[in-house]
Amino acid sequence: MKKWNLMLAIIILTAAALTGCSGSDNSGATPTEASKDAASVPQVLTANLSGGEPYTLDPAFASDTTSYFIIDNLYEGLYTYDKSGKIVEGAASKVDISPDAKTYTFTIRDGAKWSNGDPVTAHDFEYSWKRILNPKTAAYDPSSLYYIKGAEEYNKGKGKVENVGVTAKDDRTLLVELKAPLGIFPTIAVGHAYLPVRSTVVDQNEKWAAEANTIVGNGPYSPQEWKHNEQITLTKNANYWNKDAISMETIHFKMVQDATTYYQMYKTGDLDLILALPLDTIDQEKNNKEYLSHPSFSVYTYSFNVKEKPFTNRKIRQAFSYAIDRETLTTNVTKGGEKAAFGYVPYGVINPSGKDYRDDAPEKYYAFNAEKAKQLLAEGLKEEGLTQLPTVTFKYNTADNHKKIAEALQAMLLENLGVEVKLENQEWKTYIDTFKQKNFQIARMGWEGNYLDPLGVLGHYTSSNSNNFTNWSNKTYDDLIEKATYELDANKRVALTQQAEKVLMEDLPIIPILFSADTALVSPKVTGIVFDARSNPDLRFATRVEK
Amino acid sequence: MYVVKRLFTMLVTLWVIVTLTFLIMHLIPGDPFATDSKAIPEAVLENMRARYNLDKPLSTQYVLYLKNLLTFDLGPSIQSKTTDVNTLIARGFVPSALLGIQSMLLALFAGIMLGTIAALHHNRALDFISMFIAMLGISIPSFILAPLLIKYMAVQWGLLPVAAWGTWKHTLLPTFALAVTPIAIIARFVRTSMLEVLHQEYIHTAEAKGLPTWKIVLKHGLRNSLIPVLSFIGPLFASVVTGTFVVEKIFAIPGIGKYFVDSIFNRDYPVIMGTTIFYSVVLVVTLFLIDLSYRFIDPRIKLSSKGA
Repeated sequence: MKKWNLMLAIIILTAAALTGCSGSDNSGATPTEASKDAASVPQVLTANLSGGEPYTLDPAFASDTTSYFIIDNLYEGLYTYDKSGKIVEGAASKVDISPDAKTYTFTIRDGAKWSNGDPVTAHDFEYSWKRILNPKTAAYDPSSLYYIKGAEEYNKGKGKVENVGVTAKDDRTLLVELKAPLGIFPTIAVGHAYLPVRSTVVDQNEKWAAEANTIVGNGPYSPQEWKHNEQITLTKNANYWNKDAISMETIHFKMVQDATTYYQMYKTGDLDLILALPLDTIDQEKNNKEYLSHPSFSVYTYSFNVKEKPFTNRKIRQAFSYAIDRETLTTNVTKGGEKAAFGYVPYGVINPSGKDYRDDAPEKYYAFNAEKAKQLLAEGLKEEGLTQLPTVTFKYNTADNHKKIAEALQAMLLENLGVEVKLENQEWKTYIDTFKQKNFQIARMGWEGNYLDPLGVLGHYTSSNSNNFTNWSNKTYDDLIEKATYELDANKRVALTQQAEKVLMEDLPIIPILFSADTALVSPKVTGIVFDARSNPDLRFATRVEK
Repeated sequence: MYVVKRLFTMLVTLWVIVTLTFLIMHLIPGDPFATDSKAIPEAVLENMRARYNLDKPLSTQYVLYLKNLLTFDLGPSIQSKTTDVNTLIARGFVPSALLGIQSMLLALFAGIMLGTIAALHHNRALDFISMFIAMLGISIPSFILAPLLIKYMAVQWGLLPVAAWGTWKHTLLPTFALAVTPIAIIARFVRTSMLEVLHQEYIHTAEAKGLPTWKIVLKHGLRNSLIPVLSFIGPLFASVVTGTFVVEKIFAIPGIGKYFVDSIFNRDYPVIMGTTIFYSVVLVVTLFLIDLSYRFIDPRIKLSSKGA
């Protein structure tokens, strides 16, 4: 249910418009005001986990945004995000990159400590990463570490742990050898799979991450109390190297799952921050100053099975895409403030030019055009030697919002293309099974980027990617993605991903429908919470300015 | 002898439930590791399956499970990794049972009152009012009643906390939300049964003896009209004390109700098994106790294997 809830949270409860900028924080007060007031105001924040009890606080096993919301405050990787959402050094104070960009030498920050007072060492990182790669650990996301030499082989049982390219030269020096030069390594290494855990703690107690008093982290907060299914309380970690930058002393996370309930609790002042507003409140909250919506790095798609007729034909696939009026869909049907997807890469990535990747894209793909749709369909049918389109079934997983969208698409295809499509829905896990077995003609799927880069979503459709269930395979696309992955020049990389997106959009194994956004209400008494395309708001720089 | 026989039947019943649940659960398509928005590579999935013995043949998994069950070990929760099912149930049962017992007491008290009042005023205004209240209680689902209670009692009038767990005040709204339907059902049962009892000859005898009405009702009427009520209180009690999905979710109660539903959506096999077994045990034991209690309420009922 958790996953399912998350899915709903990500996709149903999405919202509004975004401007060109990447993120926002809710600072109403100027910094001086904030710090002056902060002195006299108790620094306590009460947030909510709409997913309920986090499944685990061990970064090796966490797989859901609820767990990450807490984990992000407990641990700090070599890289972290700063106040503006930029990736900067975290537990490492210095990074040396070899001229061929294949070797990264990290110097662990002087004074970096675990919450139990132990120094953070390079050995901790080596231990943590190898722990995730150990096939016996059965961690959630070892594939994020596959960029490291020997990592994939070890994880798949084909290589030895000694050959994994992570070595602690001494307590403060970590040597990381990559398979190939990788310009976006920091973007990947800021991810959850790269977070460190304290080796001595993990080795001593298998269930160390199950209770507040056994968790040891190196982040700005440490857990003080964990009342299961009720509340987690974090307090500022006195051993954190950058503790002076942290003003909130205590953060409570309640675990209220029902959207209407946590909305009411926000209204009565029990909560300072809620995410994923109940859909029926968005209209009335839209103009509220406390309301925030920001892009989430995810895209809502319908996938074709390009080996299932009639979608073996590219023109027929394109016809379906042109027949969808995405603007109408977002403004009249979903109404949560989603953005029409005229491309595949969602909003949220900032190009070197300073503009959002989406706004920088050279083309607006598949703007609604019923005439063109009909023409392409006719041509496609002719190419296939058909006079009539065979029955087409749209599959989606059972949920009100998906049903609404599927029905809208059904109506649009009938009206704009004269095609009658059947709808079929299945419960989530059953649906996933159907989807993985490629047992569909066209089926709904929402992707969240693995990391905040166009490649984080574009990578899904290379021939060998485990997320690609379309049967689509395109050599040009694979080559472009590979080149982009190893391109070190940021501008060239953008160009390469743009070319790849163009190939993907023209060949069209998937129809992007809309881009999701997250909604939030934040009390004006709290400032400095950072909202951007990451899946959770960043609470580390929050300050309470009023009691 | 009766008790021994019953205990044996209970064990067999549980074994049948365990086996059927185990089989049906594995028949549902999907696995515990499929997540949204990211597909896990097959090699990684294999590692995960191996960790939870899901790579072994079903028969082996079944034998392993039964073996652990004999030592009362319900296994780890696949979803939460660090918590085992015994802990999940032990943690959640306390609030669920507390709310359940509280609401059952309220339901019994209010339901019997309403039902008795209705029966005594058969076909008169009070009867209609009581039964109207009972109808409302049956027809308003808890997912509507609970938000309404929150909206008025907590948000608008500020009398009680919106949700969450902590003080006795936090238990009031969910207790009431849980009790409403049982109140209505009990009231209707008591009314029917009381009407029947009130027409029995021993009641007329008591009236003829000049006993006051309240004494007749309490001593002779109620006791005998409670037998049909008892027979459905058993299952109701078992389902209420093991938590409810909707009410616990709306009021953010740290109970076990959600595991019954979430575990199935998550295909968290050990949790599906654990909650099912737990519920079955509570149900079977409650039914057994109810059967025993008949004898005390009505000595005419003989306990025999057939009669049970």
